[in-house]
Amino acid sequence: MKVTAQPSADLLTLLLDGELDASSAIVLDTQLAKPEILNYRKVLVDCTKLSYISSAGLGVFISHLQPLQDKDVKLVFFNMQEKVFNVFEILGLDALMTIVPTQAEAISA
Amino acid sequence: MAGWPGWVVLLAQGVLAGNLFLLIRRQPLSLYRQDFVGLLRRLLLGPGGLSLLCLALFGVTQLLSQARPALAPTAFAITYPVIVGLFLIFLAQANYAWRSLVFFKSDAALRKRWQLLEILLGLTLLSQLAVGTVPAWLGFPVLFGLGLFGMYLSSNQRWVGYLTQGQKWQAIGYQSAMLSAMLLFVQYFRFTGPAATLLAPAAQHNFLLLTALFAAFYSLTGLLVTVFSLPTAGVFEQRRAEVVGLQRLTQIIQRGQTSVEIYQTLLASAVQTVQAEAAALLLLPGVSASENPDTSTFLHHLSEAQAQAIAKLLPSQGAQAQEIIIDDLAALPGWPTNLTFGSLVALPLHSVKNYYGVLFLLKTETKGFDADDLGILNTFTSQTVLSIENLQLVADSLSNQRTQEELKIVAQVQDSLIPKNLPTDDWFDISTHSLAAKEMGGDFYDFLLLPGRRLAVLIGDVSGKGVTAAFHMAQMKGIFHALMQANHLARNEREQFPLPSRFMSQANAALAHCLEPASFITSSLYIIDYEQGGFMFARAGHCPTLYYHAMREEVSYFVSAGLGLGILRKGGYDRHINNQFYDYGPGDIMVLYTDGIVEARGTDGSEFGEERLKSLLQRCYYLEAHEIKDLIMEDFNTFTAGCPVHDDQTMLVIKFKTAQPEPGS
Repeated sequence: MKVTAQPSADLLTLLLDGELDASSAIVLDTQLAKPEILNYRKVLVDCTKLSYISSAGLGVFISHLQPLQDKDVKLVFFNMQEKVFNVFEILGLDALMTIVPTQAEAISA
Repeated sequence: MAGWPGWVVLLAQGVLAGNLFLLIRRQPLSLYRQDFVGLLRRLLLGPGGLSLLCLALFGVTQLLSQARPALAPTAFAITYPVIVGLFLIFLAQANYAWRSLVFFKSDAALRKRWQLLEILLGLTLLSQLAVGTVPAWLGFPVLFGLGLFGMYLSSNQRWVGYLTQGQKWQAIGYQSAMLSAMLLFVQYFRFTGPAATLLAPAAQHNFLLLTALFAAFYSLTGLLVTVFSLPTAGVFEQRRAEVVGLQRLTQIIQRGQTSVEIYQTLLASAVQTVQAEAAALLLLPGVSASENPDTSTFLHHLSEAQAQAIAKLLPSQGAQAQEIIIDDLAALPGWPTNLTFGSLVALPLHSVKNYYGVLFLLKTETKGFDADDLGILNTFTSQTVLSIENLQLVADSLSNQRTQEELKIVAQVQDSLIPKNLPTDDWFDISTHSLAAKEMGGDFYDFLLLPGRRLAVLIGDVSGKGVTAAFHMAQMKGIFHALMQANHLARNEREQFPLPSRFMSQANAALAHCLEPASFITSSLYIIDYEQGGFMFARAGHCPTLYYHAMREEVSYFVSAGLGLGILRKGGYDRHINNQFYDYGPGDIMVLYTDGIVEARGTDGSEFGEERLKSLLQRCYYLEAHEIKDLIMEDFNTFTAGCPVHDDQTMLVIKFKTAQPEPGS
């Protein structure tokens, strides 16, 4: 699992590459726990190369959802593979988080 | 007597000498442990004393021959063989005592060489019998060679190195006495030498000569080696003390002793080894002996106040402390004049990570310590630190073991939370499967028979594994039983129990306070009502239930919206959960499971998957609940064969039946 952060103006794009399981969840958690995250208007999560997400991986997003919302930072996922989207959907997260098909839609969302 | 043939006398002598040696060879004065001085003493008091007997016999003979000259030859003829016999005993005992000394710490090669010497000596004895007088041109070189061989073996004096100073002086005394005893015998034979022909043609034959030579030479070499090693004895003793001290320190840990004992041994060994007059070991308050926190000072001929005062004067302190020798304490600024010590050596006790304290030793003389002392003390302190840290490792691993035991108990408690007695009624059949990936799992399920032929079924999965998941799972079960209590204020029997969506909302609110931030729970609750032929359910993010509809002969998943528990903790959860209603008929089947089933991977890395589960049910819907479960698990186990279990697996199969009419209805 590789997490790459690409800041641009008031947007932060996180590129996830690989399987997000219990061990790689820690890497992502460190990224999202950084205080400067709250300075962005929007955090975009590029899921193009995210091939699997475990409950520990979901837990990271869930635990940061509320703090980000409290600071008016939008969390937007885009380009999610169907299998990964299914996991979000079963847990009911699709109703809670913004998941869009493309990067363009994510930026304008 | 003189008329006896020469060979008879030779034979008699040979047999006597040979047998005596063989006898003593079998029962020599032996060396007990390393009591060399004891061996020398026994040798001198026993066989050595024979020389005095020889002297006494000689005196008696002399007196007799002066008083009655006529009897002199007879007296001599009697005493001479006796004294020869005594000399033989003396030589044999001496030689075999020397043998145990030669063999001390010897190798097999040396033992072989000794045997060779014995055989050669035996041959000289035989040669006298067989050949009579050996020609001088042959006899002398052989004798000379054997003599040299004996001298070569005499160089094995390793035992001397194991004597202490005092023992060396004793050894010198005993060795000198042995030589004197031998001299007495030799003097006797020299005195009687010319007259010896009276009795035998070759009394002092080569065998005696050689053994006497060896006995004397070994004794002499031993004496010399001991004398010359006297000046170095002190050094040897110190080295021995160092080795013993180190041994004691290393053995302590094996005997499972306490850190207090280790520190005490360090102090005692250090004092003994460098002959210090006073010493102290001061530990940092934090690292003092753990089982006895009050013991942070170990003293030898010093008071605690004195020790603390001296420690404060040391040039480097604390974790940066370095080993130091101070040659003249009087010149040290602030040295208390009431302390009469002249020199000091101080060493810190530290490992790579920890600093434990300081050890210092004192002597009255100035320049009392040298680099050698520092070297050995350093070995002691590092060995001590090693032992202390070993002790901590042992303690840590013990407590680790206890934790493991406690984890096992948690697993047992959790296992007791899994319902063992499934509810039974004539309108349904239930079969269950559950397997935890680790000792503790996060999967759970439960049943409750409600009044009015109703059944509540709960299934769920706490995210994560291990103790945290186990705790949350126990909480969830508690919440289930707390919320599923009949509310007697309800308007009718149907409303006595919360609707599934209401249950989920309340559970979410209860969990919001105690769930770990990154943890959540997925769950489904079904309340099945036999009399109404339908059920209500709410799905809180849990895997969709697989359902076989008997009338339509159709297998499908219940797709519905519903958010997992513990995700929204600040309210608003109600909007994300709803109730579903469904009418069922006899023969319908529900398969409830956790993601450990559908997400389990096979050897090729692919997931077991929902499709495979669905097609399995399509093939076996006509079987009984337990047969369906067995068939699915059999296929599941074939699919995942050889792959490690990563997640808990839980599956419930419920099959509805046509009920027998209730009695009386």
